[in-house]
Amino acid sequence: MNHSSRRKKDISIKIVISLVSTFGIFVFCSILFFVFQNGASLLSWKLISSDYYSTNYDTYYDGEVPSQPFTRPNTLSSDAFFSEKWGIAFIDEVDNEGIAYVQIIYVSEDSPLRILPDKNDSTQEVTIDEYQALEKVIFSNRTIFLSSSGAENAARMFDQSDGILDMLTSTPGKGIRGSIITTLILIGLTLVISLPIGVLTAIYLHEFAPKKWIIISYLRRLIEMLTGIPSIVFGLMGAAVFIPFVSSLTGADGGNLISGSLTLAVIVLPVIISSTEEALKTIPDDYRQASLALGATKTQTTFRVVLKIAIPGILSSVLLSIGRIIGESAALIYAVGTAIKDKIILTERSTSLAVHIWSIMAGESPNFELASAISIIILLVVFVLNIVVKLITHRLISVGREKI
Amino acid sequence: MIIGNTFDIQNLNLFYGAKQALYNIDMKIPKNQVTALIGPSGCGKSTLLRTLNRMNDLVDSCEIKGTIKYDDEEIYAPKYDVISLRTKVGMVFQKPNPFPMSIFDNIAYGPRCQGIKDPKKLQNIVKNALVKAALYDEVEDRLKESAFSLSGGQQQRLCIARTIAMEPEVILMDEPTSALDPIATAKIEELISELKKNYTIVIVTHNMQQAARISDNTAFFLMGKLVEYDKTDILFSSPKQKQTEDYITGRFG
Amino acid sequence: MIKNEINIMKKKPRKHWHVSDRGTQALLLIPTLLSASFVLFIVIFVTRRGISPFLPSVYGANAVNWIRFLTGTTWFQAPNIYGVFFIIVNTVYIVMFAALLSVPIGVITALFITKMTPKGVSHVFQTVIELLASIPSIVYGVFGVGIITKLVMSLSEFFNLQTAGGLSTLSTIMVLAIMILPTVTLVSVTAIRAVNPELEKNSLALGATKTQTMFRITLVSAKSGIFAGIILGIGRALGEATAVSLVAGNAGSGPTLDLFSTTRTLTSTMLLGLKETVGLDYDIRFSVGIVLIVVVLLSNVLLNAVKRRVGRFS
Repeated sequence: MNHSSRRKKDISIKIVISLVSTFGIFVFCSILFFVFQNGASLLSWKLISSDYYSTNYDTYYDGEVPSQPFTRPNTLSSDAFFSEKWGIAFIDEVDNEGIAYVQIIYVSEDSPLRILPDKNDSTQEVTIDEYQALEKVIFSNRTIFLSSSGAENAARMFDQSDGILDMLTSTPGKGIRGSIITTLILIGLTLVISLPIGVLTAIYLHEFAPKKWIIISYLRRLIEMLTGIPSIVFGLMGAAVFIPFVSSLTGADGGNLISGSLTLAVIVLPVIISSTEEALKTIPDDYRQASLALGATKTQTTFRVVLKIAIPGILSSVLLSIGRIIGESAALIYAVGTAIKDKIILTERSTSLAVHIWSIMAGESPNFELASAISIIILLVVFVLNIVVKLITHRLISVGREKI
Repeated sequence: MIIGNTFDIQNLNLFYGAKQALYNIDMKIPKNQVTALIGPSGCGKSTLLRTLNRMNDLVDSCEIKGTIKYDDEEIYAPKYDVISLRTKVGMVFQKPNPFPMSIFDNIAYGPRCQGIKDPKKLQNIVKNALVKAALYDEVEDRLKESAFSLSGGQQQRLCIARTIAMEPEVILMDEPTSALDPIATAKIEELISELKKNYTIVIVTHNMQQAARISDNTAFFLMGKLVEYDKTDILFSSPKQKQTEDYITGRFG
Repeated sequence: MIKNEINIMKKKPRKHWHVSDRGTQALLLIPTLLSASFVLFIVIFVTRRGISPFLPSVYGANAVNWIRFLTGTTWFQAPNIYGVFFIIVNTVYIVMFAALLSVPIGVITALFITKMTPKGVSHVFQTVIELLASIPSIVYGVFGVGIITKLVMSLSEFFNLQTAGGLSTLSTIMVLAIMILPTVTLVSVTAIRAVNPELEKNSLALGATKTQTMFRITLVSAKSGIFAGIILGIGRALGEATAVSLVAGNAGSGPTLDLFSTTRTLTSTMLLGLKETVGLDYDIRFSVGIVLIVVVLLSNVLLNAVKRRVGRFS
């Protein structure tokens, strides 16, 4: 093959390689694009702080009409319609299915409508707040407002009436507060369980284990095997071992957050052990020798000097574990369950963010928007964690080089 | 109270597995003097030093035959308290290795491990140690700063202070100035001359001039054997062994 | 005095450990043994649960026949017809194709990153791939249902074929391929970087072009490392559950070799219908779990044997 045709071949192969390699970036961008396009509109404080299940409130008001008119707050959006009489504002909104409704967007602290008696339970009171939708109102002058009439009419009718016979409001639901709290609890509990076990195991294996014992290499291999197990199998173990275990201890009925954390702890354990061991390996022997030469025991040397130096390495394994916990779904489906809850109790089921997505996607009518919105949150957290870990390990390497 | 000699080494042979590193070493280390161990690389001087505070225990394959007595007690006896030996026989290493802690915590580390917790006591110990190591003036207002903020020479003096804080009787030094610049080296040599008033010093050095400068006694090692051991001025001016003379005059090593 | 002066025979210096160190050593053994025991827990308890559907002592007349289980080609809950054979075939088939798609792309991307881009660009590229690797499987699942199934649907219309809303073998293969891709790429990058640069210099000095060097020298030298990445990726693909369950469909029988039909994998079987299930139908999933573990183990052993043969000349 002569020179120029070889060069041509070389160049064309290079072009093909470059094109093929863009596939990875393409997939990455597609995923991000899809998730943002579908879910970004849903991202709001409302999403994060509301309940998943919507609640309906049935209230009334038969007290005095406020003597002073309320002033419209400057912060109120120009699309909102304000009732000066009652100090309450409404805005037109559209829900996930495209249906229009009226949302209460402002209730003055001094408005008598802020806290109303519950029509169904005379002992309870209901707080009317900015997240609720106005479904229907029967005013004392017998006029009726329905949600389809729009926000402007709502404000007008409130201004025109002196009392409320019956008011139906509802909280929006589809909020993920419960799942966020569950995720945080799982992270905390899992780390509390797995960190001590993992770090102490690594310390034993690296600093204290008698080198001659063959059993040590078997123990190591048993621990390494954990990394090759699919996470759903961990879920099976969680269901078969941890759920009955916790049930017998606490009377829990089936899946619960404690059994979920125990399962997750086993999943992240190998990560913690190997990261800690790596960190211990990189600590120069000089420190250990200096400490021993001063008359410290090996225990003192390990825990007062060596462990402290290993902390950045352990920290990065913590961050990696958090990422793993947030992303884990299959194991938790078995070890906890898929029931979305608003009230989170340790001994009961609830969903982490990832399982929440599964729960709403695996049913008959998958909710793409909500699933995408939660995905955005998960991706953001996971990406940030990854980058922070990269920075920590880079810094460790460069600091190590400086010292030399 | 030791009178006369601190260490009494008799017929010491040391093996790393099958390989022998020290052959029939006999020597006594006199109290409150500086004894230098010199010789070419690999001659066993560092190995011998490390037998004195049983740091060789860290090497799994190390085995010894013979006796080493400290204060008339065989230190390799089965139930001998190694931890307490190391509080009495301190060691300064070639590369300064302060812990990644503050200057104060570095020096307080040893005492704290021995159970001393009283802050006032610790402050006193730290101050005394720094004074004796000729470092106090330079760091008195930054005791809480990281030990790494010090220069190489200062770090080494910190390590000496750290050892002194344990109130040892003997200080072993393994080429303490080989990683330092000439000025820092001079400061440490000066310090050693001061320290010998209160401590016994055994120093390994590959720098003959240093040995000639600061030591009272010198032991010359070659390939694991103790070739000659005598007062420094005698060994350097009229050595009895030809090998010693060759080494000193630079014919090898 | 005399006792001390007697020449003590050659002895090993007793361990210089303090009493407290022995105590620490013993205490630390506890978490270590615990950590090592989890693997055994998994095997023992999953197996115990997974065997119960086959035991007449537990399920009496409803007990599943284990031979029919292992060789069956249908999976229906109602009349207790549980056959896992076709599911195994499906799983292997799908994972194989996913690997076939993603390995070339992954290796080529690795070559691109290591050999064809300046340091800054390759760093960015690699970070993107690392971020891809960190995306949880459920998000891939959402992406799969949202985009991949739609893609497959349009593709099938192009060929005038039917699909169940895009839930199909092809969708599963594509989703898995995307999921394996980052793993294969990253491990290949490491393997390629470990190749001795002298080899490449020699090749270029002999007049080979850059691409010839890349393929004939670099890749060949990095062979076993790359293969290790493939094994890792395949392991992950075999165990992948949530993403697969969302795009595979619910085929009651099989095996499904047709790309546009719905299918069923071991993991999708374990997840489908979990919410409403109790008793035998719940326990049989553990049996499928045992099968999954065995499949993963066998594939590991097999692929590692192939890796050793492939690496014979390196």
